[in-house]
Amino acid sequence: MTDDTTDGPEPHGPDHETDGGTVAGREPANYLDTEINLFSPATPFMRDHLKVVWGTFVLWVLFVFGPVTATALAPELLTGTIVLGFQLHFLLTAIGAPLGALLLSVVYARQRDRLDEKYGISHSTGPADSEGTTAAADGGEVQ
Amino acid sequence: MTATADLLVQIGDTGLEPGFKPIPAAITVGMLLLFLGVGYVFRVAEVDDLWVAGRGIGNIENGMAIGANWMSAASYLAVASLVALSGYFGLAYLVGWTTGYFVLLIFMAAQFRRFGKYTAPDFVGDRFYSDGARAVAAFTTLLIGFVYAVGQGRGMGLMSIYLFGTDYATGVILLMGITIGYVALSGMLGATKNMALQYVILIIAFLAGLYAVGWTQGYSTVLPYLEFGDEATRVANTIAAEFTAPFANASYYQWVALAFTLIVGTAGLPHVLVRFYTVENERTARWSCVWGLFFICLLYWGTAAYAAFGTLLGEQTPGLSYPFTGEQGDVMVVLTAQMANLPQWLVGLVAAGGVAAALATVAGLFIAGSSAAAHDLYTNIVNEDATQRQQLVVGRVTIVLLGILVTLTAINPPALIGELVSMAFAISGSVLFPMFFLGLWWENTTREGALAGMFTGLAFSTFGIVNEVLPTIAGINQGEPLVPAAAAVIPATSSALVAVPVVFLVTIAVSLVTEDPPTEVKRLVRQCHSPEPMQRMESAEDVVSGSGGGTPGDD
Repeated sequence: MTDDTTDGPEPHGPDHETDGGTVAGREPANYLDTEINLFSPATPFMRDHLKVVWGTFVLWVLFVFGPVTATALAPELLTGTIVLGFQLHFLLTAIGAPLGALLLSVVYARQRDRLDEKYGISHSTGPADSEGTTAAADGGEVQ
Repeated sequence: MTATADLLVQIGDTGLEPGFKPIPAAITVGMLLLFLGVGYVFRVAEVDDLWVAGRGIGNIENGMAIGANWMSAASYLAVASLVALSGYFGLAYLVGWTTGYFVLLIFMAAQFRRFGKYTAPDFVGDRFYSDGARAVAAFTTLLIGFVYAVGQGRGMGLMSIYLFGTDYATGVILLMGITIGYVALSGMLGATKNMALQYVILIIAFLAGLYAVGWTQGYSTVLPYLEFGDEATRVANTIAAEFTAPFANASYYQWVALAFTLIVGTAGLPHVLVRFYTVENERTARWSCVWGLFFICLLYWGTAAYAAFGTLLGEQTPGLSYPFTGEQGDVMVVLTAQMANLPQWLVGLVAAGGVAAALATVAGLFIAGSSAAAHDLYTNIVNEDATQRQQLVVGRVTIVLLGILVTLTAINPPALIGELVSMAFAISGSVLFPMFFLGLWWENTTREGALAGMFTGLAFSTFGIVNEVLPTIAGINQGEPLVPAAAAVIPATSSALVAVPVVFLVTIAVSLVTEDPPTEVKRLVRQCHSPEPMQRMESAEDVVSGSGGGTPGDD
């Protein structure tokens, strides 16, 4: 859902290569100068990230509190419908809610990986502690 | 009636066969020795290793550790118990204790990894630039560990009745003693290796019992999760309509309040959050959270199946029938295997899995508690020049004291396993979740706001608990809540639905009228959300202060 939008160059552009980690004169990346706001993201990355966060969150609320609420509103329909031998409200609550949360977790983690890709971030897992900021300077691939 | 009563005396309150059983006992002892052996092989003395395992644990292994760390006696024994005892209301436990991981994933897991410190109180102390806030969070961590572990103690005592033929109290003392010795001897590196192993053992034990019952009774074949529908519906139609009737045992409000509390409680638990400190990078934090939820679901989907199978089998078993007692409920998983006439070694394996679940979680709780005491209370407040040796001593003394206190309380527990553990969730959800959430997502949250919010949360959750538990323990008011009207709105197990919005409002209001946090703190928050990679041993503070990473010990 976010792949086809090509937002501008990312804030970690030029400073990025000098991020040795021990350089005292490290200039702050823009990420450290822009406010974190859950409702009004200040960077393109945050905007993309929060889209994924809120999008999956709304679906999660439906999966988790939807079945019990629907059962309160239309008890006859949900307890009277039989699916796989289950009364529907029981199936949606006992199996559906955890399954929904699991699938949405996968969706979120994949979308978040795509954001890494889009913004040229690599979490390399090289030996010892030498990986990290420098490894990402090529704007590289994910894993 | 008399015949039933005689039979009950013979089989005991739990319905489990009494007496020492050599093979099940040997399975349990072998399992515990294996844990101790693995703990010994991966033993550590360095303080960095003790708490966060050198930050080198990968995806699936950490996912399994999340699973084992999470799945206590509350998951293994109590969810099936609560579904068997409370029907559809029990499903609120099933839903609350699984789906909360999603909230943890999207709002917190990776951010906590980027923050990169040792403990949950570390986060609160640094984020709210206050040793006072750190102390309150550390105290809360200890309180949560205590309440949570009491439920585990009850599970251990009940399992010991079947496995070792002890009475309940002896079982609690025996198994708690083993747990204390184990945690004090090995640190978290040993524990993380152990947790992956513990997950494998407990999921095998749990599912072996479920598959065997389903197979031998003709209830299910290859996928019991989706095959117990007929059985659940049959229970409702022929034994007890309230097994599936939506609001027969509790109202819609109570259902939602409980599920909400367990969800936010999940996202506020120090021993859960610390698992995200142990991973390589924030991507691993995210994916191990996903794997963790998957591993957790493998067990949770089976809990309602156990409840349905057990209730059906109870009707065919002399001396046992719906409605079950609290003791029978809390051993329902093992009882179901016994009622299905499975071989003793298999019933024993199921029971041993319950012990593994309890032991793994108590280990995680006690480690979180010991680091709260040694690192947050002692080193940061009492003795700033504490050596690593002194920290280890304080940590270990804390584990022993906490263990003794838990054992004494668990000998006469005031509620069911699941209810006790839910009370711990009410505390973490009301006190720590709002601090973590606002701390990470609203950079203007101030020290004063956090302190006001945490005290408000503590007031709500402890009032809810005291209101219901004190009459039971002290034998006053016929065991009824002190303020019945309050118990309906803020139940001991579910106070967070009311508390969380209030705590948010208090924290935000106080933050708005007090001086903004220092710029470095705001930058710390931003660094937790930045997409830029960090070095493995680097914390957000290192980046913000430009000091580089590598030696978290000296900050």
